[in-house]
Amino acid sequence: MTTLPTDPATEAPIALAGALEKPGRRPRKGRPLGTASWYATALFVCAVMVVPLLWMIAIGLKSKTAVFEVPPRLLPHEFNWSNFIKGPQAIHFPRLLLNSTIITMLSVLGGVMTAMMAGYALARLRFPGRKVWFYLFVGSMLLPGVVGLIPLFQMYKNIGWYDTWLPLIVPAFFGGNPLFIFLARQYFLAIPYSIDEAAKIDGAGHFRIFTQVMLPLTKPAWITMSILAFQASWNDFLNPLVYLYSSDKWPLSVGMASFISPFAGQTPDWSYYMATNLLYMLPPLILFFAAQRYFIQGLGSLGSTTQK
Amino acid sequence: MNRSRVGMSRSAGSDTRAAYLFILPPIIGFTVFVVYPLIRSFYLALTKYNGLTDPVFVGLDNFRRMFTVDPAFWPSLKATGYLVVLYVPLSLGIGLALAMFCNQRFAGVRIVRTLAYLPVVLPAVATITLWKFILNPQVGLANTILEKLHLPTSSWLQSSTMSMPSIVIVMLWGVGGTMIIFLAALQAVPTELYEAAKVDGAGPYSVFFRITLPMISPIMLLQVILQTTAALQTFNQPKILTGGGPGFTTNVLMLSIYNNGFSNLGRIPQLGYASAQVWVLFIIIIAVIALTAKFSSLWTYSDNTPD
Repeated sequence: MTTLPTDPATEAPIALAGALEKPGRRPRKGRPLGTASWYATALFVCAVMVVPLLWMIAIGLKSKTAVFEVPPRLLPHEFNWSNFIKGPQAIHFPRLLLNSTIITMLSVLGGVMTAMMAGYALARLRFPGRKVWFYLFVGSMLLPGVVGLIPLFQMYKNIGWYDTWLPLIVPAFFGGNPLFIFLARQYFLAIPYSIDEAAKIDGAGHFRIFTQVMLPLTKPAWITMSILAFQASWNDFLNPLVYLYSSDKWPLSVGMASFISPFAGQTPDWSYYMATNLLYMLPPLILFFAAQRYFIQGLGSLGSTTQK
Repeated sequence: MNRSRVGMSRSAGSDTRAAYLFILPPIIGFTVFVVYPLIRSFYLALTKYNGLTDPVFVGLDNFRRMFTVDPAFWPSLKATGYLVVLYVPLSLGIGLALAMFCNQRFAGVRIVRTLAYLPVVLPAVATITLWKFILNPQVGLANTILEKLHLPTSSWLQSSTMSMPSIVIVMLWGVGGTMIIFLAALQAVPTELYEAAKVDGAGPYSVFFRITLPMISPIMLLQVILQTTAALQTFNQPKILTGGGPGFTTNVLMLSIYNNGFSNLGRIPQLGYASAQVWVLFIIIIAVIALTAKFSSLWTYSDNTPD
């Protein structure tokens, strides 16, 4: 199916089929071995992706002077584990980590909750204006975020939100990421309508149907979304850079970037930096491996259904 | 579709009420965070505005200044265009090649797929700063490896000829994002088509150009639009790697907008001028989407009969 189904009702099952197709379901035994050239290519791809990260760890373990040895050594000859303590101390890592965590958690909560509710209404309730709003929300995906940056910046300044976390969190509670609304609606469309009918006959209201019937059924959708929302917020650099002036309010992204913008005449301390960088990468990394299946499949389902 | 069954009538009115209650937050958000800023930024683009005193209407003066006076503007268009011309095709080409590679069912293919996607999940700031050090001319990994292989080294980000290619290299490290979407598209191609081609004795080239490419062309269209709009809005890499240098070579539009509007270098913010540049970027993005969509019928295949 690579056609573009124009009827949303037909494309949702495809999305779900794509999302539920677990690679593990294929018999893994009897997977043929590739040819030598296949493995050479595979090795090359893996090396390109992994060697920079391994090198980062190596730098993180070197001493300050060893980093600038010429010719450079690829591996440290002594392991300075203390870099993992001193590096984070140098930029007040615990403080930044706490900031990042609070900002991220709240925007994940807001983004996912709003999108799930909107997706439910747009997919399962009939009301005048349903199509219009859906197209407006999805259409706003095409709008580059930068267009609103300057007026919003002024607006936040006028209401006293400059140098607070609110501009980074509040938009999420108001459907700040239309992609999530689109995803949520896709999932909701794939659930049989008889389920709602049954719940309605039992006298359940919309809120109860949504919370007690729908949320458990759409777990893959909101897990995928939560991961995406976590990433978006944890990795965001431009917005906190623009909105947060005080360094004690910075999230990790801004803190890490400032770590290596050297003050006059100073070279940044790369060994400290790389050690801290690894710590900054760990949460998304752990999350990725823990929820890999949802991640790859969830994004895959997005790829196999596009809307005209 | 009207529900005419008795007993469903109760839900019609309450459906509407409940539905609007459920989509009220995004409606508010759409109004406050999308519609208002769009209109406002259009107005600001025609003004001189420092964010402290009221905006002064100056008509098209910002645009005149941009195209005739500002020494940083043409280079920023050039740098942004460079990314579209070089990064987008490479990202799509390598992404598709990787996806086809990972679509084969060999032992270990999942490891390759996962590792190829890995850089995408890492924080942008973390990977970009890592690459900044990899590209360090004296002690960076890139030159170290090149020296060991007796290949010519480069001063990468510090050279005005290599600064843009360096940024493209750093961006391409995240090609796994493009790969994943292509992979989903490839997995949706019916296997019967390939089997039929095998029976007919088609070679790998004709299979690729006559089956694979046409079948994934709708996704290709989406990817062209997504990647181009993303490339046009590149900010993190130039901001962290070069700050726009050397000599404006990497001063992409977004960086120019940021420097004019927000830079804390003690200059007065020029929000009107920055808004005008935002609109130049916005118009380019709209043009790209419109042109891609307009000519899509020439190269995308769909077996939908038009209604």
